[in-house]
Amino acid sequence: MKLLKIGISGVRGIVGETITPHLVMDFASAFGTYCNSQKVLLARDTRLSGPMLHTAAISALLATGCDVLDLGICPAPVLQYMVKKLKAKGAISISAGHNDSNWNALTFINQHGTYLTEYQGEEILDLYHLGKFKKVASGNLGKIKPQKDYLDTYFKSLSQFLDTESIRKANFKIIIDPCNGGGAGIVDLFCQYLNCELIPVNNEQSGYFPHDPEPRPRNAKEVASIIQITEANVGFLLSSDVSRVSIVSEDGETLSEEYTFPLVADYYLKKKPGTVITNHCTSRMIEDAADCYNCHIVKTKVGQSYSVQSLVDEGAVMAGEGSGGVAIREFQPAFDGFLTMGIILEMMAVSNKKISKIAQQLPRYHIVKEKIYCPPVKAHSVVGEVKRLYPPQEVKVLDGIKVEKKDGWIHIRASATEPMIRIISESTSKEKAQERLEKVSNYISQQV
Amino acid sequence: MRKRLPLKISISGVRGVTGDSLTPQLSASFAQAFGSYLGRGKVIVGQDTRASGTMIKNAIFSGLLSVGCQPVNIDICPIPSILIFTKEKKAVGGIAVTASHNPKDWNGLKFINAKGLFLNHPQIEEFLDIYHQGDFSLVTVDHYRSLVSEKNPTNIHLNKLLNYLDVDLIRRKKFKVVADCCNGAGTVLMPQFLKNLGCQMTLINTTLDGAFAHHPEPLPENLNRLINMVKEKKADIGFVQDADADRLSIINEKGEPIGEELSLALAVKYILNKKPGAVVTNLSTTQAIDDISGEINVPVFRTKIGEINVVEEIINKKAVIGGEGNGGVILPEIHPCRDSFTAMGLILEYMASSGKSVSQLRQGIPKYYMIKDKIDATSDQAHHIIRELKKQYSGKEQISTLDGLKINFSQAWIHIRPSNTEPIIRLVAEAKNRKMVENLVESFKKEILEVMEWK
Repeated sequence: MKLLKIGISGVRGIVGETITPHLVMDFASAFGTYCNSQKVLLARDTRLSGPMLHTAAISALLATGCDVLDLGICPAPVLQYMVKKLKAKGAISISAGHNDSNWNALTFINQHGTYLTEYQGEEILDLYHLGKFKKVASGNLGKIKPQKDYLDTYFKSLSQFLDTESIRKANFKIIIDPCNGGGAGIVDLFCQYLNCELIPVNNEQSGYFPHDPEPRPRNAKEVASIIQITEANVGFLLSSDVSRVSIVSEDGETLSEEYTFPLVADYYLKKKPGTVITNHCTSRMIEDAADCYNCHIVKTKVGQSYSVQSLVDEGAVMAGEGSGGVAIREFQPAFDGFLTMGIILEMMAVSNKKISKIAQQLPRYHIVKEKIYCPPVKAHSVVGEVKRLYPPQEVKVLDGIKVEKKDGWIHIRASATEPMIRIISESTSKEKAQERLEKVSNYISQQV
Repeated sequence: MRKRLPLKISISGVRGVTGDSLTPQLSASFAQAFGSYLGRGKVIVGQDTRASGTMIKNAIFSGLLSVGCQPVNIDICPIPSILIFTKEKKAVGGIAVTASHNPKDWNGLKFINAKGLFLNHPQIEEFLDIYHQGDFSLVTVDHYRSLVSEKNPTNIHLNKLLNYLDVDLIRRKKFKVVADCCNGAGTVLMPQFLKNLGCQMTLINTTLDGAFAHHPEPLPENLNRLINMVKEKKADIGFVQDADADRLSIINEKGEPIGEELSLALAVKYILNKKPGAVVTNLSTTQAIDDISGEINVPVFRTKIGEINVVEEIINKKAVIGGEGNGGVILPEIHPCRDSFTAMGLILEYMASSGKSVSQLRQGIPKYYMIKDKIDATSDQAHHIIRELKKQYSGKEQISTLDGLKINFSQAWIHIRPSNTEPIIRLVAEAKNRKMVENLVESFKKEILEVMEWK
């Protein structure tokens, strides 16, 4: 089975199997056709396959008559921010985010700097499937326009949004592990702007990933092992596109990535109450945080494209997911790891509390996650079968199967990015969360 | 009449039209096939100045990376410099993005082997088999190489030229030279080259934006600005290159184009004086080459049309010089490829060592009149015409059937062959006087049209 995932936000797969120059060119040609000879931004993370996808996308965009504003190696949130600044029609982000190093992906960004809407995504897919791409004569070909100074533009704007004065005064010492991904080298600038002393881990633009570029506790061993010795105030892990963050507290505890969003929300909603967007499989911590400030929650399907679209459509203040992605509409409608780290530093500075103490204020849930390999062609039917385990009245079909109990919930869905079925179980009781997960996991393993 | 198709895949590589046949996808497929053919290693990628060069080059990078090759981007670079660089840098091969003298909307890919030569017939067949089978050796990420760029890729070529030429002799003459780079790839080397030879230079058409100042073929009708400039500057000589700088034609000190056939004839005359040896040229090149070689009794070998055919014969026969009548001079001691810089160097050295002007040197070359003409013909018409004419003339006249039909009369010759890029038959004829060659071409055109009517 060759792995390829095509969706409204873009296309991802394994390089050399499904991700080939032709696939990239066909998608970039479809996007270039959609952008109709206007400016398109392009950026990639550090993956070794990056230059192959990058050059294929450049060629295809030029052929459709689009000028390419090339940011080179650049994190997705910076790219998304620059789309509006540079008045481009859209952007392509080349990064497989949290996926393993042999994966890569194209993500399409619209003129507002957000992931495509469902309608835009469908249009790109129609163009792709039709295969009739715009072709211009040699005099009308697009040109490559390398960009400079965009990092300063972005970080200036970010530091205006944050309470930079308070953060700068706090003289934080922080550890960041960008996993040698798209944030590598750029986190240094982030720290300069916020007057933080950086202890870098895996901060080379080498594309060699020492662990999966997914910000979560099992990948946080290096940061956790040095945080007490170095007396750092906080540690952060980033995904390779810097859209997601997980936190290591100063006492060495690796916080679940589920903490990132509620922590930011608990601080930000106090300043600016309003509707909050999340998905069906994010910890109840966010609901508790929203309740505190009488904020309404809207739930969407899993994925940045759905939650950020909802953020814009609902006029919500923030959106986020249990995977560690957070967007604040007032800054930009995109999951933004720099913004997320910035807010956490701001709350530490303003409250003058340690991150471990802030985290303790959140209600404690136990959340367990498992992913089980399942061929994509079977995934949805297997998920459907899981219904049989529960009385029909308890089952809700919400982007998969969700069963809610008083003390917690369990959610089972087919991954949109990998050939996996994802199970997430949360409860106030660790044992119950684990027991419910195992029941489903055993059942699915038999089915697959 | 059927028009020229917008895509041609042949011994000379791939030619197509931007915005039509020559897409990123097509370019990437060829790069993948070529990378699979070469095996993993460094592949040099250069281009002429055409506007579509960047688009096609990036597609090639992507294709090469996907099969585990390391593309080395040398950007805009004369064709001979690309060939020499490929060999000297020990790359596994190279790709030149150029459509030579074709109009600006055309572009193409030419494929180079590890010796810095364009692929020959068997090689191109092997490689096209891989392309057609579509069985590319895609690699996993562990085998991905990086994309690198090289600054000053023309230096190796320049040093070879300067080592070969009698630089001091040329420098002492302080020649006044006007050169027309046709806004082509020659622009990146011309100033350094002429400066090193101590020339006072005036350069025209030296922008790199792909807007050719005139049709990129160095024919007299494309050269008005250069002619005026030679007169105005009272220059010793005028040079004009084609878009990828492999071919040259020359303007004399009076501002008269001496005809692109003379570029090779002058170079052959000079080289044979210095170093007698075999000469190789194609069937359509001037008889003057045979006359010059005949004076000192060295053999001339004639080949089919196509640079690689001449190059291979030069290597096989260990010739001292060779080339084509279209202004392509090949000096194997520098590199077995057409090279306008070699041609310029030889002419300047010839002028310096003889103390003669271009028009005086031209006097030393036997005078012929040549006509190049064409007739529209589909492929089966062309086949039929050549077959009928062969029947007609075999036994009666001295003929060669190596490439179409060449008939050698006592005072003249005519070469008739189907083009391998367009649905036409090409006629090239040469005679001692103008009237004779005009009559020859007219009578053959009439005969060809009659043969076409029989069918």
